[in-house]
Amino acid sequence: MHDPDIPFTRYLDPDGQPCAELPPCAEDAELLERLYRQMVLTRLFDRKAVALQRTGRIGTFAPVLGQEAIGVALGAALHKDDVLVPYYRDTGVQLMRGARMEEVLLYWGGDERGSAFADPLCAEDFPICVPIATQALHACGVAAALRIRDQHRAVATTCGDGATSKGDFLEALNVAGAWQLPVVFVVNNNQWAISVPRTLQCGAPTLAQKAIGAGMPGEQVDGNDALAVYTRVQAALERARQGKGPTLIECLTYRLSDHTTADDASRYRSSEEVSAAWQREPVKRLQAFLVSRGNWNEQREQDLIEHSQAQIQQAVERFERIEEPDPDQLFEHLYARWPAQLAEQREQMRERAARRGGQAHE
Amino acid sequence: MKHFKLPDLGEGLQEAEIVEWHVQAGDTVKADQLLVSVETAKAIVDIPAPYDGVVVKTFGAPGDILHVGEPLLAYEGEEDSGTVVGRLEGGTEGPQEDSFFIGAAPSSREHLAPRASPAVRQLASRLKVRLEDIKGSGPDGLITRADVEAAAQGAMAAFEGEKLRGVRRSMALNMARAHAEVVPVTIFGDADLCRWAEPRNPLVRLAQAIAVAARVEPGLNAWFDGQRMLLRTHEQLDLGIAVDTPDGLFVPVLRDVGNRSAEDLKQGMARLRADVQARSIPPQEMMGATFTLSNFGTLFGRYANPVVVPPQVAILGAGGIRREPVAGGNEVEVHPILPLSLTFDHRVVTGGEAARFLKALVEALEKP
Amino acid sequence: MSDKSYSLVEAVNLALARAMEEDENVVVLGEDVGVNGGVFRATLGLRERFGRKRVIDTPLAETMLGGLAVGMAAQGLKPVVEIQFMGFIYAAMEHLVSHASRLRNRTRGRLACPMVLRAPMGAGIRAPEHHSESTEALFAHIPGLRVVVPSSPARAYGLLLAAIDDPDPVIFLEPTRLYRMNPQPLPDDGRRLPLDSCFTLREGHDLTLVSWGASIHETLKAAAALAERGVEAEVIDVACLKPLDLDTLEASVRKTGRCVIVHEAPKSGGLGGEIAASLYERVWLDLQAPIQRVTAPDIPPPLYRLESLYLPGVEDILAASETVLDHA
Repeated sequence: MHDPDIPFTRYLDPDGQPCAELPPCAEDAELLERLYRQMVLTRLFDRKAVALQRTGRIGTFAPVLGQEAIGVALGAALHKDDVLVPYYRDTGVQLMRGARMEEVLLYWGGDERGSAFADPLCAEDFPICVPIATQALHACGVAAALRIRDQHRAVATTCGDGATSKGDFLEALNVAGAWQLPVVFVVNNNQWAISVPRTLQCGAPTLAQKAIGAGMPGEQVDGNDALAVYTRVQAALERARQGKGPTLIECLTYRLSDHTTADDASRYRSSEEVSAAWQREPVKRLQAFLVSRGNWNEQREQDLIEHSQAQIQQAVERFERIEEPDPDQLFEHLYARWPAQLAEQREQMRERAARRGGQAHE
Repeated sequence: MKHFKLPDLGEGLQEAEIVEWHVQAGDTVKADQLLVSVETAKAIVDIPAPYDGVVVKTFGAPGDILHVGEPLLAYEGEEDSGTVVGRLEGGTEGPQEDSFFIGAAPSSREHLAPRASPAVRQLASRLKVRLEDIKGSGPDGLITRADVEAAAQGAMAAFEGEKLRGVRRSMALNMARAHAEVVPVTIFGDADLCRWAEPRNPLVRLAQAIAVAARVEPGLNAWFDGQRMLLRTHEQLDLGIAVDTPDGLFVPVLRDVGNRSAEDLKQGMARLRADVQARSIPPQEMMGATFTLSNFGTLFGRYANPVVVPPQVAILGAGGIRREPVAGGNEVEVHPILPLSLTFDHRVVTGGEAARFLKALVEALEKP
Repeated sequence: MSDKSYSLVEAVNLALARAMEEDENVVVLGEDVGVNGGVFRATLGLRERFGRKRVIDTPLAETMLGGLAVGMAAQGLKPVVEIQFMGFIYAAMEHLVSHASRLRNRTRGRLACPMVLRAPMGAGIRAPEHHSESTEALFAHIPGLRVVVPSSPARAYGLLLAAIDDPDPVIFLEPTRLYRMNPQPLPDDGRRLPLDSCFTLREGHDLTLVSWGASIHETLKAAAALAERGVEAEVIDVACLKPLDLDTLEASVRKTGRCVIVHEAPKSGGLGGEIAASLYERVWLDLQAPIQRVTAPDIPPPLYRLESLYLPGVEDILAASETVLDHA
C-alpha cells in the first residue's frame, strides 16, 4: 500500500527492466555483480539451512527467502565502521558483515558460540535479536553514543512489519527524531507477521509514515529491487553520518517462505498469493537486469551456483566438526568477574553431567 | 491437511514446470511412490512421495511453474507441527489415567504424627521408646524430654513431691551425667595402721598419701574430656574433699596438697569445713579438683564404689578404721585397719596403674 | 462410553470453547489466535465458532495486550489474552504489576480486573533464544495476581475454566513441553478445579516430592523408580503457585518428614525457596532431613544444545531423594 506523501522508489520492474531513471550505481557493474553473487549465495545458504533443520542438524530457523535484496543491499551500503543492529531474519546482511556461515548454523543449531562472531566487519555489531523490536531502541542507544562522541558513523537497524506495532519501535522512532540520531530504520515489510497480514497491523496506508509523527523522513522502496534498496539506504546512511538525522525506509517485499521452519503458512494464506509473489522475486529480477546489460550469462550462472554450493558445503562441514559445547560454558560468560557463589552450582552441574553419563547434549 | 512442498531439487534456482501428475486427489499413496514429473532447465525430475497417506489436493496443472517451497500436494489427516518454533514431543508413555486428590492425600489428612524436637527424638531412640506410644505434655501435643524419660522408666504415675534445688539438684544432675560417661572400676585394699604412734584422724595422712601415690602414678591425677579425647595430667594435686552437711554433699578443694606441711593441711581442711558449714564458701573453692577423697568412714562403712566425677579420673573412698585380726608372722594380732576403695575411670586408667597407685598410697599410709 | 482423549493444549482449547459458550463476556485476543488458531493451536476453531469480535487477531505488541486486557476487564469483559511465549510477557509487566494486580485494591473494589493471561512456559522443545523461560517467581511475587501452572490435560481444563471465572487477574502458564504429551480421557463437563489447592498425584509415606509444570513429568518418573526400590514417594503438584496451598504441603511433610522440591526455574529466588521457608516454619519438628531443592542453576536458559543439562532430570531428583532418605 502506498501514500501520495510518502516517496516510493523502484528502478527495476519485476522482469528486471528499468521503469524509472536509473541511479548512478546502475552503471557500477562491479557493485551489481557483487550484489547478485551475494544474493545467490544467501538464497542457496538459506535453502541449505532449511534442509539442515529438516534433518535435525539445526533447530528452528527463520528463512529469508524472497527478501535477499534487502539484506544484501543493506550490507553493501554499510561502511565498515557503521554498526548493524539486526533482528532475526537477517542472514543476508549478517553474512555481508563478516558472520561466518558456520556461525549462523551454530546459532540456529542451539549454541551460543554462533553469536561470538570471530571476525565481524564491525566488532560492535549486535547479535540476532529475538524479542520483537527491542533492537530498535538498542540501535538508538548506539546512535546516541556515537553522537555523544561526535563520531561520523551510522547505525542501521532492521525489523519486520509486525515489529512496527510495538511500543519499542515507536519509542525508538520518537527518540531518534527528537535527538536527530544517526540511525536508519530498515523495515522489512514482507506482508506477514506469522499469520497476521500487514493490513491488521496498522491502520495507515504505509508503515513509513510513522516517521512523520516522529519528525524524520520516511519513504518506501520496492524491497525486491536491489538497486532501489541500495540507493536509498546508502543515501540515508550518508545523511546519518553527516549528522543530518535519522530515516525510516520501508522495504516492500514478500515472505516467500513460512515464518519459520516450524510454521506452515498454507494454513493462513493462499498458494495463489504465493505464486503471484514469486513473479516479483528479487534474485531473478536482478539477474534479468544483468543479463540484459550483457553482464551475465548461463555459464557464469552455473559457475556461481557451483562455487556457492562448494562454499556452503565447506561451511557445513566446518559446522559439523565443531566440538560439542562444554557444560562449563554455561557459567563462563555470566559475569565479567565470576562470583564465587556459582562455584558450587558449577560443581553440581558437573555432577549432573556425570549422572547423565556423558549424554549432556541434545 | 499437511502440505508437501516442492523440495530442493539441487538444481540451483530454476523453477520447475509441471509435466505430468501421476496421482490425483483421493488416491492413497505410499512413501517413494511417484507423485509428479517436473521439468527444470536441465532435465525432467520425478518427485517421490515423502510418506504414506491419502492425497486431498494437488497444486498446479501441467505447464504451471512452481518454485521450491511452494505447496505441491496436500495429504489428508496429517496433523500440523502445532508450533512455530522447536519441536513438541507427542507420546503416550505416561499414565493414561489422571487421578489426583484435590489438596492433601487421605493418609496425610488422617496422619497424627508424634511431634518432638530432633534432640528428643534422639533421646527416644536411645532409650528405645516409641514416640507413637507417648502422649506429649508440651504445647500442641509436643513430646518433651521429660515425657520420653518418664516413658523409659515404665509408666510411672506422676506424684507430688519436693522439687530439687541447689546442691541436691546439682548432685542429681552431676551424678547422672557422671554415670553416663564414666566406666568405673574399683580396687579395694586395706592400710594397716599399726605403726602409727597413736590413732588419729587420718584425713591429713590420706591427703599426703594420695600426693605420694600421684607422684608414682600421675595418670590418676588427671582430667579427661571424653568428647574431645583430651587427657591432661596434673603436677599439682588439688584434692576435693567430700563434706557431708544437712544441706547435702559439698566438695571443697584443698589446693596443692603435695607441697604443704601437715600442719598447713590440717588448718586448711579445718577452714574449708568451717566455711562449708557456715555456707560461706565461695564457688571457686569447689572447682578444679584433680582428685577426690571421700572419707565416709567417719560416719560408717568400710568399702564402697564412690562415683568418679568428670573431668577427674579417680576417687578414693576411705571407710571406718576398725581393729581387726591380722596375721603377724605366725600369730594373730589385732591391728587398726583402714579400708580403702579406689575407683578409677577405665577409659583412661588401667588396672595396673590403679593398682600401683593404691600400693604406693597404702605404703605411704602404713609408715609411722 | 469412554471419554475422548485430549492433550494438554487440546484441553486448553476445550476449556476456552466451553467458557466462551457459557459466558458471552469471554473474549480471546492475541497474535495469531484467530485465523491461525494460535501458534500452538490453543485457540483452534474458536474464531469460526464465536466470530471475529470475540476472537481477535491483534497487532504485534505485548505491552498493548497487557493494557487492553486491563481496560476490557474493567468494563466487565473477561479477556483471555494469549502471549506466545513466557519470554514475551515482560513487555506487559508494567500493566500486570502496576495495574491488573492493583485495580481492585486501588478502587476499593469499585473496579476489578477479571483477566486471564495465558502463555506457554518452560524449556525442552529445542526452541530458539528467549522461548524457554521459567520465571514464574516474578509473577508469584506480586500481590493481587494469581499464578497457575497446570501439568495435565484434566488440570489444564479445570483450572483454566476456574481462572476465567475468577474475578481477579490470573497468569496461566502452560508447560510447552507437555502440550502434546500423554493425551488423556477428559469429559467436557465444565467441572472447575479450585484455584487455591495443590493436587496430590501420588500417595506415599516415605518422602514428599513437590513440583509443578513440566517437571511433574520427571517427578512422577522418579517416584516410579523409587517405588521399585521400595520407597513410596508422595507427589504433590503445587499447580496454584500464588496463593500457595501450604496446608496440603504441610500435611504431607508432617507425614513423611522428608521433602524434595523440583522446579525448572533457576534456584535463587525460585519458588522452591518460598515453599521451603514456609514448610520450615510449620513443620521443622517433623522433618527428618533438610529440605532439598532440585532446580536449574542460576544461568539464563541456554540454547538447546545444553538444554537437557539445564533442566532437572529424573536422576537428579533421585540423587536428592537419596540424600533425604539417607539422613539419619
